[in-house]
Amino acid sequence: MSKNFLAGKAELNQQIDARVSAYFSSCVHCGLCAEACLFYTETDDPRYTPIYKLEPMRRLWREEHTFWGKLAVKLGLAKSLTEQDFADWEELVYDSCTVCGRCSMVCPVGNDLAYMFRKQREGFSKAGYAPDGLKAATDRALTIGSPMGVTLHTLKATLKHVERSTGLSIPIDKKGADYMTLFSSMEIVNFPEYIESIARIFDAADVSWTISSTAFEATNSGIQIGSKEAAAEIVNRVVTAAEDLGVKHVISPECGHAYTAIRWEGPNLIGRSYPFKVIHILELLDQLHREGRLKLSGTTDIPLTFHDPCQIVRRGGVVEPPRNLLHVVASDFVEMRDHGDMNWCCGGGGGVSANERAEELRVKVFDRKKQQLDELGVTTMVTACANCRLVLEEGLEHNDMLMDIIGLSELVAEHLSE
Amino acid sequence: MRSNSLSYSWIAALPLMGLLSVLILVLAFLLLPASAIADEQKTATPIQIPNPAADLWREVRQRDVVGVGTTQAAGVDAGTLINPYGSNWTQFRMQMLIPYGGYLLGGMLLLLLVFYLVRGRIRMEEAPSGKKLFRYTVYERTIHWFQASLFLFLAVTGLIMLFGRSLILPVTGPEVFSVLASASKEGHNLFGPVFLLALLLMFIQFVRRNIYERGDLTWLLRGGGIIGKTHLPSNFFNMGEKTLFWMLILIGGAIVASGLLLVFPVFGQGRVIMELSHVAHGIGALVMITAVLGHIYIGSIGMEGAVENMTTGYCDLTWAKEHHSNWAERCEQHGEVLSDEQVARSQGSHRYQADDVDAETVRETN
Amino acid sequence: MIAQFIDGPLWYFSSIVFVLGVLYRIFLIIKAGVKPDLAVPRQNGTFGAVRTMFSRFVPRRDIAKRGRLQVVAGYMFHLGLFVLLFFAKPHVDFFAERVTGVGWTPVPYWVFIVSAELAFAGLLLLWLYRLMHPVTRLLSSTGDHVGTGLVFLVMLSGCLALAHSFEALRLTHLLLAEMLLIYFPFSNLMHAFTFIFSRGFTGALMARKGINA
Repeated sequence: MSKNFLAGKAELNQQIDARVSAYFSSCVHCGLCAEACLFYTETDDPRYTPIYKLEPMRRLWREEHTFWGKLAVKLGLAKSLTEQDFADWEELVYDSCTVCGRCSMVCPVGNDLAYMFRKQREGFSKAGYAPDGLKAATDRALTIGSPMGVTLHTLKATLKHVERSTGLSIPIDKKGADYMTLFSSMEIVNFPEYIESIARIFDAADVSWTISSTAFEATNSGIQIGSKEAAAEIVNRVVTAAEDLGVKHVISPECGHAYTAIRWEGPNLIGRSYPFKVIHILELLDQLHREGRLKLSGTTDIPLTFHDPCQIVRRGGVVEPPRNLLHVVASDFVEMRDHGDMNWCCGGGGGVSANERAEELRVKVFDRKKQQLDELGVTTMVTACANCRLVLEEGLEHNDMLMDIIGLSELVAEHLSE
Repeated sequence: MRSNSLSYSWIAALPLMGLLSVLILVLAFLLLPASAIADEQKTATPIQIPNPAADLWREVRQRDVVGVGTTQAAGVDAGTLINPYGSNWTQFRMQMLIPYGGYLLGGMLLLLLVFYLVRGRIRMEEAPSGKKLFRYTVYERTIHWFQASLFLFLAVTGLIMLFGRSLILPVTGPEVFSVLASASKEGHNLFGPVFLLALLLMFIQFVRRNIYERGDLTWLLRGGGIIGKTHLPSNFFNMGEKTLFWMLILIGGAIVASGLLLVFPVFGQGRVIMELSHVAHGIGALVMITAVLGHIYIGSIGMEGAVENMTTGYCDLTWAKEHHSNWAERCEQHGEVLSDEQVARSQGSHRYQADDVDAETVRETN
Repeated sequence: MIAQFIDGPLWYFSSIVFVLGVLYRIFLIIKAGVKPDLAVPRQNGTFGAVRTMFSRFVPRRDIAKRGRLQVVAGYMFHLGLFVLLFFAKPHVDFFAERVTGVGWTPVPYWVFIVSAELAFAGLLLLWLYRLMHPVTRLLSSTGDHVGTGLVFLVMLSGCLALAHSFEALRLTHLLLAEMLLIYFPFSNLMHAFTFIFSRGFTGALMARKGINA
């Protein structure tokens, strides 16, 4: 993607809707959003204040949508937004924000800053001002089908391992199945135990499910980098496959932004509603258990806590299901003090973990998670997002912390009644 | 080579001067009735014409004994026909408080001017280190300036009320002065209780660091380093600062208490209590303003490296070692020394500067 | 002459600018439009909008702690100003005479004074904090300071005129208030009206996702 500032500026302007206007009109620069952002709290660098990271969008709103702003630019009293501003802000937009949405929860005038961040990235990526790592990932997602370059071939190899160790067969392209599941590349490559777990769970609960060979990728680089065209293309693949197979539900796996992409943004990206429902794996497991289809027994008795993946819990609305499941399979589940929709980000979401330039900062802000864990004194953490898991593992290692991380589906599978 | 041996003496002297002036004024007030009566006796004429109601009026006037009559009118002091202390109080205000208060303030300003001309700005002995210590949090600085702005506003409006008739009215004329005086009274009365809030916040935040410690008396007796050339060690706050703190809390507290009695005359205060409150309020305020003049001087132009403490929150390491050595050492031991760059970053002045976008590229793509 | 101008034409002018300006700003927000949401909602958006309108008055646990000064001083200022602006007798009389035609019960004088003291304390603390804290120093624009300063001057001039004895003081207060009315629609003081939209939009969007924001 070469640089095209004017196209980026035009795109950014397009993104300014009634919500954005209301938000910028109401902001009184109180700075409370900074107190909720782990990039600020762990570095004390005021440039990481969420509303400051949105400065390019605010300036464009001012110069295009307000009386004073238009007048000031006309009279030469204020500068119009320039390419240098995009270049200067790229680091703030992509390295120091995971779009975790904690800021949106605390703004006294109710601004949804994460909503604005997502939109601001549309302008930046159109202009070509995005980190190389993300650009490359998006390219791979569009051309190969996976940001990590995972092909059907790779998937099939992993599935073969899973079939061998579970003794079950994984249905591929099964028409008319109730559920079509997606996987994130991270799970396929780094945490195939997730695939094993759900294979065993679906078998035990007698769930009719399948994978699509043309659209198995859950992650959506378009959402991360901020390209609605790329995001729509990726969603369309899934929708097309689901329609072809005639499934009733599409399952979003243990991946954060994948849920946001397919469940909340998807229909708006492709411009129509789905003929199927989208369900998160945790919602499904909880539902199956409540219906009595999923029988679980025994409990894990070591003290453990839950790290809430931002895009699933706070931005996705799947708050209770993980807790319901943990209360069944764990006897000593303790919540972090800030938990549920106010838990702290792992620091690697929103494309930050794919951005090499941001590594030092990402490692620094893990201090917040460390503090949360030190307060509890547990040695086991459960989560439900493969990216969080990787980022957390790196953080724990960097800080020499003894802590196990388990995926929630994995934990549930360990307690399947025989 | 500039000598720092006189550096601290005047800070210690200011509160002492304040205390001394209080004593003088209280003595003056006590001596007043005696002098007033003596004056009248000197000017008495020899021809006596007996007044049939002399006895009655002597009792009413309460010259010999203080008495209060009874009346059907309800209300505090309703039984007092004539308040004998009224004229004492007026005389005190016009002939002692105003002139001597004026001399006190004027004298202080003169003293500061002379001190600045003779001693100059107190500079650091060594050059600034380029390293900083974090001294005051945002909250602490906020409440300090909150207190300071309230104090300044109350001081100015109060001084207008006290000295305005003598100093301002002749200059501006009655029309302008009456507006000014009315505005000052309303402003002073409304903001007075807010000062109580400021005092409470200051007290809670700083009292722990202002408790007397070993070495403080030595510091005071040595005038903060005037004798000999040794720097006297001191902790977070030196004895001069501690003295000002306690003056603020105690005298300031008395000012607030008397002010509340004056502004809310609905709790059964009689005239005498109101007069005494006014006296305490006036004397206390003049003493505090005098002390604060010194505080403002030394905190701004009087000492190098002082004002940045309360504006940025950071102080230079060298400055800290020279003026608050115990505290500075402790910070060093705890590894709390910061570089200029670290300070700049936390103040948001470290800007990520992308490479200048190439003008050529801009023209090509746009 | 100036007195008649302040009491007369300037009052009408500033009121008109204020009303039209506020309406225009709100119109601009609505005009920008919102795309319809095609995702299947979990809860009703309107319900969420109203809920969030009120729930945002209570700060979250860690924000209440980290931002304690802003929360406390912020409420002191806003509540104090609200009471004194709409329920102090001189204001009630003014509104009754010039705006609504009918009055309402004012609060007792001491309530007026205490509200004013709280409002002043809150505003001063907030303004000083804005100048001292690195985050707000970075964020604050000229507009923030002009707005705060104008509000402060209006309040201060009102306080100075409390004796009701001098036209000069009353007119100063009125003049500053008129300047504030003119400035209002062009600044982020508009948050007094637009916060309904910003809280509402977010509340609706988050409620559809199933989150009480």
